[in-house]
Amino acid sequence: MWRAEIDGRRLRFHLTGINNQNFLMADEQTGSWWQQATGEAVFGPLKGRHLDLVPYDEIGYAAWKREHPQGRVLRPDDGAPWRRFSKDWEAQTAKLPVVTPARQGDLLQPRDVVVGVRLLGMARAYPLDALQRQSPVEDVVGAVPILLVVGEDGRSVRGFERSVDGRELHLFAQPGAPLRLVDAETASTWSFAGEAVAGPLRGKRLPWVQTLKDYWFDWRTYNPETSVYSAGLTNIRRSL
Amino acid sequence: MSAEPSKSRPRRRLAGVVLFLLVVTALALVIVPVWLIRPFVAQTPEGLAVAFGLRRWAPPATVLILLAGLALAIAVWRSGRRGGRWGSRTLAVLALVPLLAAAGLARFNIFEKMFSPLGHASFASAADAKWVEEGDPVLAVTQGGEAAAYPIRQLAYHHIVQDVVGGVPVAATY
Repeated sequence: MWRAEIDGRRLRFHLTGINNQNFLMADEQTGSWWQQATGEAVFGPLKGRHLDLVPYDEIGYAAWKREHPQGRVLRPDDGAPWRRFSKDWEAQTAKLPVVTPARQGDLLQPRDVVVGVRLLGMARAYPLDALQRQSPVEDVVGAVPILLVVGEDGRSVRGFERSVDGRELHLFAQPGAPLRLVDAETASTWSFAGEAVAGPLRGKRLPWVQTLKDYWFDWRTYNPETSVYSAGLTNIRRSL
Repeated sequence: MSAEPSKSRPRRRLAGVVLFLLVVTALALVIVPVWLIRPFVAQTPEGLAVAFGLRRWAPPATVLILLAGLALAIAVWRSGRRGGRWGSRTLAVLALVPLLAAAGLARFNIFEKMFSPLGHASFASAADAKWVEEGDPVLAVTQGGEAAAYPIRQLAYHHIVQDVVGGVPVAATY
């Protein structure tokens, strides 16, 4: 989700090619080519410039609708056969070949889904499988204490900085529905939106940490120095 | 059989060779970049740089090549004698077909056409969005009090959706 603007000038993009399974887009205004995964211009007059990231959520529609009943939803393009884009397209995509080679000693398979976090130059990949089993997961990335939470649908993942007014918190899941977390420091109750709904910190919000749900091979291509959260990995691969 | 002037046959042959080279070059200018950045093949930084350069220069270059080809074809046509060899005139004219095609294709973004760009994004309110199911994942943005959701099934099809949310111009990509 990129801010379509450079130096105050609105940019309009067109698909222009593929670079190792991540697409390139060209802007009409300068003809520069931008890499979709990084928002960086790789060719053209704006080469080297970066688009700003707009904070976004990848979330189940039901959860989004509950939080934003007044929101708007992209209409389908009736001319396009997108409905034939089947419901299990993700499963089908998972079978497609990967062109970047897997590395010896990789703990993850190329098409394993990870949730990537990049903070202050440090990158970490959290296998979705591990997050689903261990949510909420606390960690520290780039010296920032973070929290990764999986939503009630079992698929939506959000990242937050687990600190309020400079104070670090430790959060745990409360059993039952709807999804609630409780912090050890004040026993306040927190929602999936990262907002305290009860307790001394009621009304406070945890700062948003942008996460990216991605295939391992793609995350690693753009974050070559990434570490991997490996607690609880069930399929450690020693050799290929 | 009428005698040909001794100069015109080798000249026509040379023109034919040049026309052939022009055709090959024009087609290469259009085909090579698409070949280099096709899906399911690894790209190298050098290959990308070549693709970019060719795509950038192909529109003016193919026009120049077309004009050169046109000039040559006219010259060949004129040098052919009435009732004489029709072969070289026909070939000269036929050569113009790929040159025209290349000049047109150089301006055509085949990649975008393959992936169904969304010309104009329109929206429904959350209450009216019947085509999305509860479990469907969406990419959602909230800016300046406005909330917009882009169902991933639609985004994955179009790859880019451009919008303005709360005054912020965005490109939702997937």
